[in-house]
Amino acid sequence: MRSVYLIAYDIVCPKRYRKIYKAMCGHGDAVQYSVFRCELSDMELQSLKDQLWPVMNLHQDRVMIVDLGPTEGRGDECIEFWGEPRSLIPDRAATIV
Amino acid sequence: MISPSDPQSSSTAHSTAATPGAARQSSTSSGSEDANQLIPVRMLNEFTYCPRLGYLEWVQGEWAENIETMEGTFGHRNVDKPDRKSIPARKKSNDNGDRDEVQSDSANGDSIHARSITLSSDADGIVAKLDLLELDGGVATPVDYKRGQVPDNPEQSWEPERVQLCAQGLVLRANGFESSQGVLYYIASKRRVVIPFDDALVARTRELIVQFKQAAAEEQIPPPLEDSPKCPRCSLVGICLPDETNLLRAPEESVPDGNRIRKLLPAKSKALPLYIQHQGAFVGKSGDRVTIKLKGEELASVRLLDVSQVCAYGNVMFSGAVIAELNRRSIPIVHKSYGGWFHGITTGLSHKNVELRIRQFRTADDPEAALTISRQFIAGKIKNCRTLLRRQLGSTDDPVIANLAEYRKRALRADSAETLLGLEGMAAKCYFEKFFPMISGIEHYDVDGRNRRPPRDPVNAVLSFVYSLLTKELTVTLNSVGFDPMLGFLHRPRYGRPSLALDLAEEFRPLIADSVTLMAFNNGEINQDSFIARAGAVALTDAGRKSVIAAFERRMDTEITHPIFGYKVSYRRVLEVQARLLARYLLGEIEEYPGFVTR
Repeated sequence: MRSVYLIAYDIVCPKRYRKIYKAMCGHGDAVQYSVFRCELSDMELQSLKDQLWPVMNLHQDRVMIVDLGPTEGRGDECIEFWGEPRSLIPDRAATIV
Repeated sequence: MISPSDPQSSSTAHSTAATPGAARQSSTSSGSEDANQLIPVRMLNEFTYCPRLGYLEWVQGEWAENIETMEGTFGHRNVDKPDRKSIPARKKSNDNGDRDEVQSDSANGDSIHARSITLSSDADGIVAKLDLLELDGGVATPVDYKRGQVPDNPEQSWEPERVQLCAQGLVLRANGFESSQGVLYYIASKRRVVIPFDDALVARTRELIVQFKQAAAEEQIPPPLEDSPKCPRCSLVGICLPDETNLLRAPEESVPDGNRIRKLLPAKSKALPLYIQHQGAFVGKSGDRVTIKLKGEELASVRLLDVSQVCAYGNVMFSGAVIAELNRRSIPIVHKSYGGWFHGITTGLSHKNVELRIRQFRTADDPEAALTISRQFIAGKIKNCRTLLRRQLGSTDDPVIANLAEYRKRALRADSAETLLGLEGMAAKCYFEKFFPMISGIEHYDVDGRNRRPPRDPVNAVLSFVYSLLTKELTVTLNSVGFDPMLGFLHRPRYGRPSLALDLAEEFRPLIADSVTLMAFNNGEINQDSFIARAGAVALTDAGRKSVIAAFERRMDTEITHPIFGYKVSYRRVLEVQARLLARYLLGEIEEYPGFVTR
């Protein structure tokens, strides 16, 4: 239902960078600088695109979206980390604090 | 209001003739006001696609997104921005020259492209938002943007799109423009398809407008399509439940063995609840994330995408921004006391499906109708209790199995609510006598029955807590489906009790709550240290509660085979499907409320 996407970006202007970074945080977890791991359904991916599109300047900025496959399958297995990722990848479970 | 030269005036006249009928039948709202409601042409598109879909969206106010609707919005991002171009109005064909002819002359010879224009036609009873209007003097061509590719059929378009476009043409004509054709622009193919507004299309459009108004006036939802390839692509499939409703409507003998139900619902929901029980925690919003902080230190940060509801226990603070955002996304906030007492629920504006609430109140007011549903709740509960015991005992020899079967039969024949409650009490007593000894991993408290307020032993403490979680879950579900959770059929409304949630909880108590309790103890997830005893009352510690909530949430996420429909769904989904089936029953679509009973 959801797939794992690896999304990386180069944003030239700090103001646009801030907006893109915020939109990305709402959709995934930063695993490296400017690289996010996002678990998204097709609708959620569309909602991310809806947010990124109006902010970007396509003459200067870049976004790369890589579909790694379904969450319970290839998408989960195909990433290998050396060192600690910048944020931990959450389990699919209700959050209880 | 109708132009005499209009060849289709008769069918339009028919629609106004239907008005008194609408006023008579609609006892709950002003009939004439209903008849004057302009139909948005986008809704006319939905009605043409499927009459039930049009009814659900326009009359009942239901809405859900799917990938197709979202891509559609994305494809419309340019044409949905209204430009501020001034367009000279035309003399309307139906008012007698009280508008100045000269106005329109200024536009003659100029060609204008204008985006996102809203116009209406009182004569046709429709209102249209035009994506793009191409004006050439007095000739107007509506252009409608469609997300997909040009369809591979002779017309190079689908009927709902043609009808929608033609309705836009009718609106333009009513506003004094000349409009003989429209254009469908298919975004994926980047191609325009010209649709002439010929007599056949105009007649079909007018016919559908009349049918739509009649369906709305009769307050009867059109039946689902049968086994239609349209359903899997429809965003409202989870609300409409086409195959499920059709199966339950059909007489039993006409249903072939089980395989007719397509699995149109996702088995699991993506978003899950967020529980906060740290006293003094502060819940805020950072971008599209919910953050939970304690004394400035972040305890957790969750994507709003992953949150289905927020449950706050005791002293938890919320920022205005997070409340507004949760409301906007229809994510409820459940407020409970530290001890788990249900205080309230914060939601966005209440659900638009007024029709359902009216039927719910009517049914609750009719003792006979309320009893009919209540029988199913209790019979379902007793059956599920029996199944749990039968599985745990591993045999059917125990007399309790036969006793419960007998109570169930009597519950189905109960002639009053008091009898029903009596039978429920007797069944519960003999069930719990067997249930308590099944629990291990805890010092023996020598209990053989339920006690509460406060619970006096660990097992009852857990049962009470899990029942409160189940009631909370059903309150949220019923609310989201459009019910008023406070007004029940079996449980009479009392101050602050979500009676309908308690009603629907009956059949799920053994399946969800009792089984969570049994597993949490027997798997060692909770033990002696999870409880605190104070002067005879026993309560869960923070850590104990966390374990019980985790066990409950795991159970809710467990996939089971649906006993009627045969597909796999999680319990979380089952609760929603049951609530929707209850709605289908109350709205008169299915003969009997099918209680959820496992085999």
